[in-house]
Amino acid sequence: MSQSKTMSILKDNLWTNNPIFIQILGICSTLAVTNNLRNTAIMTIGVALTTAFSSFTLSAIKELIPRKVRMIVQVLVISFYVIIIDILLRAYLPDVSKQLGPYVGLIITNCIIMGRAEAFAQANKPLLSFWDGLTSGLGYMAVLMAIAVVRELLGFGTLFGLRVLPTAFVPWTIMIMAPSAFFLVAMVMWWAKNMQAAKAKPAQGKAGTPAAKPATPPAQPAKA
Amino acid sequence: MFQKQPMMRKVLYALAPIAAFSVYLYGPRVLVVLALSLGAGILTEYLFEKKKGGKVSEAVLVTGTLFALSMPPAVPLWIVVIGIVFAIFMAKEVYGGFGRNVFNPAIAGRLFVYISFAGVMGTSFYAPGNFGMAAGSLFGAPDALSAATPLALMRTGQSTPIVDLLLGMRPGAIGESSVLLITLAAAYLIITKTAQWRLILSTILGGAAMAVIFWSAGIQKALPLESLLAGSFLFVAVFMSTDPVSAPKKKGAQWAYGALIGTVIVIIRTFSLFPEGTSFAILIGNTFASLLDKLVTDATKRKQTRATVASQGNTGKEAAQ
Repeated sequence: MSQSKTMSILKDNLWTNNPIFIQILGICSTLAVTNNLRNTAIMTIGVALTTAFSSFTLSAIKELIPRKVRMIVQVLVISFYVIIIDILLRAYLPDVSKQLGPYVGLIITNCIIMGRAEAFAQANKPLLSFWDGLTSGLGYMAVLMAIAVVRELLGFGTLFGLRVLPTAFVPWTIMIMAPSAFFLVAMVMWWAKNMQAAKAKPAQGKAGTPAAKPATPPAQPAKA
Repeated sequence: MFQKQPMMRKVLYALAPIAAFSVYLYGPRVLVVLALSLGAGILTEYLFEKKKGGKVSEAVLVTGTLFALSMPPAVPLWIVVIGIVFAIFMAKEVYGGFGRNVFNPAIAGRLFVYISFAGVMGTSFYAPGNFGMAAGSLFGAPDALSAATPLALMRTGQSTPIVDLLLGMRPGAIGESSVLLITLAAAYLIITKTAQWRLILSTILGGAAMAVIFWSAGIQKALPLESLLAGSFLFVAVFMSTDPVSAPKKKGAQWAYGALIGTVIVIIRTFSLFPEGTSFAILIGNTFASLLDKLVTDATKRKQTRATVASQGNTGKEAAQ
């Protein structure tokens, strides 16, 4: 595990191959939980930890899993960690747990986790997979937090529940509702892809396109 | 700076008397709303088109005017700016500008602000007449004077005199009131072949049919005649459902499109939380517009192949089998 490899994984997961705006995974939870910064923070930490630990575990036991049933085993391992997170939340942050409701359990279905397990942990060492899972979660977190800042600020006039804008401010009801996340995610994607395209232009001569299509299952339907 | 679009100019000519009349109804504030809507709309489109090297379309003038006319008269000015910027930016330019937008931008902007600021928008209506003096002052009414629109009254079972509805002497959005002027505008647009009469007629027929069905089923809120005259039904039928970009192009599809919009308007007005359903109906119609076009095209194609097969006689039939 060389240092350059860890750095390139970090950069990939945060920017050039970000799970949200390049891979378009985990959109379901992006729509559901981002109208409130605190919930978003808890949720994204949960996803980051689950991805990290499940990638680690799956990478460690990858030789023992028959290819044909690997998906079932992956889901089993992922649900194990999600249940641990759910129990921890219920024990230490009961309010948040209640507000997030079914979404904690639905972390299991978050495509990012399965995507990393399939695309990375299958072919890499446990520690590197852990790092990859963690940074993927961070990339997810960065985008969701940015969206949540806009949504909570405009939707409630608060940040982390603290009043930021004057009471005369008229809240934008649409920001509390899921559709606004569609607009905002689209804008983030637009901005990020523009930035990457602008950067890729001068470097086009010497290097290929950095963002390859990930070999992951198709994005889940937004059922939440 | 502007692209020349004679069709859009004709729509503007048709809107001018309506805008002038609304100044009489609600006072000079209307002009401020109009100016802001047009200014912010043009600026937004200009910033986008400048980057692409394109010209600002004259359609943005129509969008800006339609948007301004669909606002309640006492609308806070910052809401106008947010709405029109959203309309041009998110509903038009991100799709690639004029001619490529799936949804009618004016309606998208209107719905965005109506949903976001439902409380403010709902209390921004005031009584019409005498250049705004009927409500107290030349420059818009204070909050306490907000008036109930005919649609809001209908929900509680009251009705507004039909004559008032026809003349436009009732609270409502800035430009939706005068049935007379809108009908004249519709006639002008149809005669100059700017708007497709099928779209207007089918929307009205769809709405009327649905209202009659509801009314005869014993739902007192759906008064057939008032359903058509109150709210922005006619305004939307004439100016929004006929949007050449977001409406279907084939004959059969246009009938279905209008009927869909008309029925959805009445359904939403009768059963949803929002008193006005025209905007939702147009967006739903827009969603299905290209599908309807495709269905009609496919059907005609199938008919044609069948006809040619039949005319070719037995040999043709065998070949087709």
